[in-house]
Amino acid sequence: MNREQLPLAIREKILKIDLSSLRKYTVMIVLVILMVLFSLTSPYFLTWRNLSNIIMQNTYFIIVAVGLSFVMIGGGIDLSVGYQMSLVGVVTAMMMVVNHFPVWLAVFLGILLGTTLGWINGLIVSTIKVFPLIVTLATSIVFQGISYLISRANTFRDYPGGFILLARGKILGIPYDVVLTILIAILASFIYYETVFGFRLIALGGNEEASRLAGINVRRMKILIYTICGLLTAIATMVMISKANTTNSSFGPGTEFIALTAAIVGGVSFMGGEGNIPSLIAGVLLLAVLGNGMQLAGWGTYAQFIVRGVILLGAVVFDEYQRNAKKKVQMKA
Amino acid sequence: MDIEHIVEMKGICKWFGGIQALKKVDLELRRGEIMGIVGDNGAGKSTLMKILSGAYLADEGEIYIEGQKAHIQNPQDAFNLGVGMIYQDLALFNNLDVAKNIFIGRELTHGPLNFLMDKKRMYKRAEDVIRDFRVDIKSPRMNVARMSGGQRQMVACARAIAFQSKVLIMDEPTAALGVTEASKLLGLIRSLKEMGLSILLITQRIPDILAIADRVFVLKGGQRQDILEVSKVCLDDVVEMIIKGKDQGGNHIPEVEYKSYG
Repeated sequence: MNREQLPLAIREKILKIDLSSLRKYTVMIVLVILMVLFSLTSPYFLTWRNLSNIIMQNTYFIIVAVGLSFVMIGGGIDLSVGYQMSLVGVVTAMMMVVNHFPVWLAVFLGILLGTTLGWINGLIVSTIKVFPLIVTLATSIVFQGISYLISRANTFRDYPGGFILLARGKILGIPYDVVLTILIAILASFIYYETVFGFRLIALGGNEEASRLAGINVRRMKILIYTICGLLTAIATMVMISKANTTNSSFGPGTEFIALTAAIVGGVSFMGGEGNIPSLIAGVLLLAVLGNGMQLAGWGTYAQFIVRGVILLGAVVFDEYQRNAKKKVQMKA
Repeated sequence: MDIEHIVEMKGICKWFGGIQALKKVDLELRRGEIMGIVGDNGAGKSTLMKILSGAYLADEGEIYIEGQKAHIQNPQDAFNLGVGMIYQDLALFNNLDVAKNIFIGRELTHGPLNFLMDKKRMYKRAEDVIRDFRVDIKSPRMNVARMSGGQRQMVACARAIAFQSKVLIMDEPTAALGVTEASKLLGLIRSLKEMGLSILLITQRIPDILAIADRVFVLKGGQRQDILEVSKVCLDDVVEMIIKGKDQGGNHIPEVEYKSYG
């Protein structure tokens, strides 16, 4: 008996197991498989030092991906996060290194700038109602120009000790940035599953017009999610430049691609309305493990680009397949 | 103000660009009645009802709910006044379950500042709504994407009436349903009337209206033609009014009520 001959209820159940569970756990399963494979190809892979390095090198990617998840689950996209990081990074660094602002003030103003950049994206997306892909592509070019104009393509290094502490300080042996990342992930999960805002955000991504008809202020929601994305991107920037102890305008661009790929691999739907934080983090770690494992196996950076691109394509195809399958069941019902 | 009428719309005008979709339309809905809204495609039926539900803003005209002037700027305003609408496409969220579809925009909350969802209470209330309206849905945790057309219609219905609504607007509710499901839905609409709801029913299926409505409101080219008492007309009378309008031969039908508000 093939699947088409089964009763509808059983088919629905199978589909539910096929897609929901598969989607939920695939990224975790693939992550484990990759770790086993790489541990066989390199004796250094499965060492505490290597694994802790993978986590510490990816904290800011996780923070950006969490920020991006707010926009994507709400049905939007933000391609400008990379150049937001570039702009926030050079401005914060210049305030500390060139203008000798106190660390707290430079960090505060840097985060305020990032939040404002997100707010601007949200304002444009919700006002002119153009596809957000185009809007944020355009704003990313603007942010890039401003970043290079301000920095004059200079590199800024040797931050004050207080700022470096963000990357090097520890609480109970755990680096500050790891603690910060965990706190942000927990808070984001809490917002998604326990708050009215999170609930409405998931609804908005599922059906924007129905959200409007249900009395939700769609415009305000959109502005808010891009602003949150800007805020988290700015926090991630602080972690990134603190770790590097240097920055210039080329720091940040490219992050949007990794965060976007990780989000989609981690189950955040490209069309909105779906996603969860644990899988999203697993998505970031999957890409990181892949990069690290390939490096240890002697594959170059360019080969990693190809693999990442193929993974993004595969994740989008899977996302689309899942949506079509759901529609088919609905039509048959 | 006349409080026999739960809803009064007076001189409603609506333009879409250079096209006038509604031309000084008046409508009076009596308390506890089912009123059919009929008209050809483009007659302005959905536009008129969307103005009442807050989905569109009228360019001119006034709305009174229970005799009080209403300022309906958005769907939330209409909801707060006890007006719920079930849209033709149902406006459901396929990524959410039944309970969440019912409560979206009217979430039950707890905790400081009321920003936390009270999920336990929401699922309990959703269960009660499903039971009270004898809706054929097994659990409030079912995802609406996996439901039949009839079940989805029931969820939309439950959402519109779960919060002490006084007026329910239904836009082509039976259009996508089979004979059995349509019949069940008409039964549900009747029982909603018995529960005291006033119902505005947009449909192209005139027999549905003749089966359950008290009166029928006819629109043509964005203008009110007439309100007919269902007990005094037949299918052909309604169809003739829809096609010819009041001024071109449709006005031989016994006129029941028409108030001009100039």
